[in-house]
Amino acid sequence: MFEGFIDGYTKSLLIFAGINVIAAYSFYVPFKTGQVSLGQAGFMAVGAYASAILTQKFGIPFAVALIFGGLAAGVIGVVVGFPALRIKGIYLLLLTLGFAEIVSVIALSWDYVGGAQGFGRIPFNSLTLEYVIGIIVVLIVIFARIERSSLGRAMDSIHQDETAAEVMGIDVVRIKLLAFGLGAVVAGLAGALYAHQATYMDSTTFNIMLGVEILMFVVVGGGSTYWGPLLGAAVLNAIPETLRAMRDWLELVPVEWTNFYPMNRTYQFLYDFLDFENAKRLIAFGIILILMMIFRPDGLLTRDSLRRLRLPRWKARHA
Amino acid sequence: MRDAVASAVCLGIEGLTKRFGGFYALNELSMEVAHGHIHALIGPNGAGKTTFFNLVTGVLPADSGRIVFNGQVVNDTRPSKRTIRGIARTFQNIRLFPHLTVMETVMIGAHCRTYSSVWKSFGKAVLQWPLTEADEERRMRANATELLAFLGLADKREAKASDLPYGEQRKLELARALATQPQLLLLDEPAAGMNPRETEELDDVITRVRDRGVTIILVEHDMRLVMGISDRVTVLNFGTKIAEGTPEKIQNDPVVIEAYLGEDVQL
Repeated sequence: MFEGFIDGYTKSLLIFAGINVIAAYSFYVPFKTGQVSLGQAGFMAVGAYASAILTQKFGIPFAVALIFGGLAAGVIGVVVGFPALRIKGIYLLLLTLGFAEIVSVIALSWDYVGGAQGFGRIPFNSLTLEYVIGIIVVLIVIFARIERSSLGRAMDSIHQDETAAEVMGIDVVRIKLLAFGLGAVVAGLAGALYAHQATYMDSTTFNIMLGVEILMFVVVGGGSTYWGPLLGAAVLNAIPETLRAMRDWLELVPVEWTNFYPMNRTYQFLYDFLDFENAKRLIAFGIILILMMIFRPDGLLTRDSLRRLRLPRWKARHA
Repeated sequence: MRDAVASAVCLGIEGLTKRFGGFYALNELSMEVAHGHIHALIGPNGAGKTTFFNLVTGVLPADSGRIVFNGQVVNDTRPSKRTIRGIARTFQNIRLFPHLTVMETVMIGAHCRTYSSVWKSFGKAVLQWPLTEADEERRMRANATELLAFLGLADKREAKASDLPYGEQRKLELARALATQPQLLLLDEPAAGMNPRETEELDDVITRVRDRGVTIILVEHDMRLVMGISDRVTVLNFGTKIAEGTPEKIQNDPVVIEAYLGEDVQL
């Protein structure tokens, strides 16, 4: 579908960015009811392994395996969601973190899925980009509709004051469980897509850092609207690419401008800084997180900023 | 007069006890609230009034004793289920949802009367076709509009709950509680922070709510309000009941005057 106008590199960039967007949405659903989970990477792993077992070991078509991957993660999500109902804040963070660790240890020690050697030779799915785009569109439609519905309002009220919501007749237990399970399903889909794009994974693929990154997508984008996760994941995935492009421009600077002190040091520093790999990426994420917490703790996009964007229409309606 | 025609008991409390460590917030409290009454619960700070509300609504579990609502023991019922049975409350320290608008806040109260289960609300949200506002939503909006008009908040519909002045936040809490269509309404110091004019309005509102057929338990420190509108008054001190009766009887009860106000005060 996209062969004509994007090259392979761009395509794989878009696919992994898109999988990150889906993962960000998996964090957003439970977050809408006030549940902060660092374990979404664990649910991705469940979805990835479940679907890869089906396709690689049993030869089941990817579309079916994808659905089963999501469902498997959803079942585990509900199981984990039950104890998660009773605890909040930092304790929930630790519980979900522990869950992700358990999943990764199982993946490491279970020889059926490759154990320490990793799970390889997963059938490659050539339509991942189409799947990713389709799933993102469906998710946005679903969350837009939830946000405009009574259920969405009930979720917001739970986020803002759980006790008051419960006393007002909102079934806090079921709604939180539904949100947690739904988040796990979405994470499972992301994991299944990842597995059949990368075709290899091991116990460290879905690690704690991935869980933190998923959280960051929503923190940066904004967790109070359904556009936030999309924006956050897009921005954070675009940053490394943008910096890499800037480094390419830097190489165009004539040598005689930079071959003397202090320009040579400055050049070297900038060049290194824009080399946005691994460790530096984490440093940059840390800096971004700190800046976000200081300047926009609710994320780039909040409900208020959306309201302001709509202001002319809003004013006309309330004139 | 009302005592004579008092029919069935709306809320029966039998030997209700709540301890916090060694401190008895409520100790073997027994009382009955008749249908259609405004029943005031008064007492000095720390007498156990708010604890009583928390036990009746299920926010806190009782240590012993029974809470009987409309003839059914509700001790083990979750707060949301009690609300569906017909118990609603307001909070002493206002607990609105700060980021919701006034309209949305009231519609939260109506949620439990509109959707009987989470699955129904989920299905309605996601699968409703065509992509227009569900009938349920329109009904909820109409109900909420009516309630807001009833409480004089009609022109604040789109304001954020946290932006309202204090007195109006109290009214909004009342509107949210009424939206759950309660049979029994627990009001925790509704007049706190209101000016005299607003208190007078509140007096009127509470009476009108009672006339809609809602039984009301009122915790309040404003004695003029309490004595003016209550059918019965129960006085708590250190978690135990020290007096109960009509407002006139309570006003002249020496035990109450001494325990509650000190010896020389004339109510």
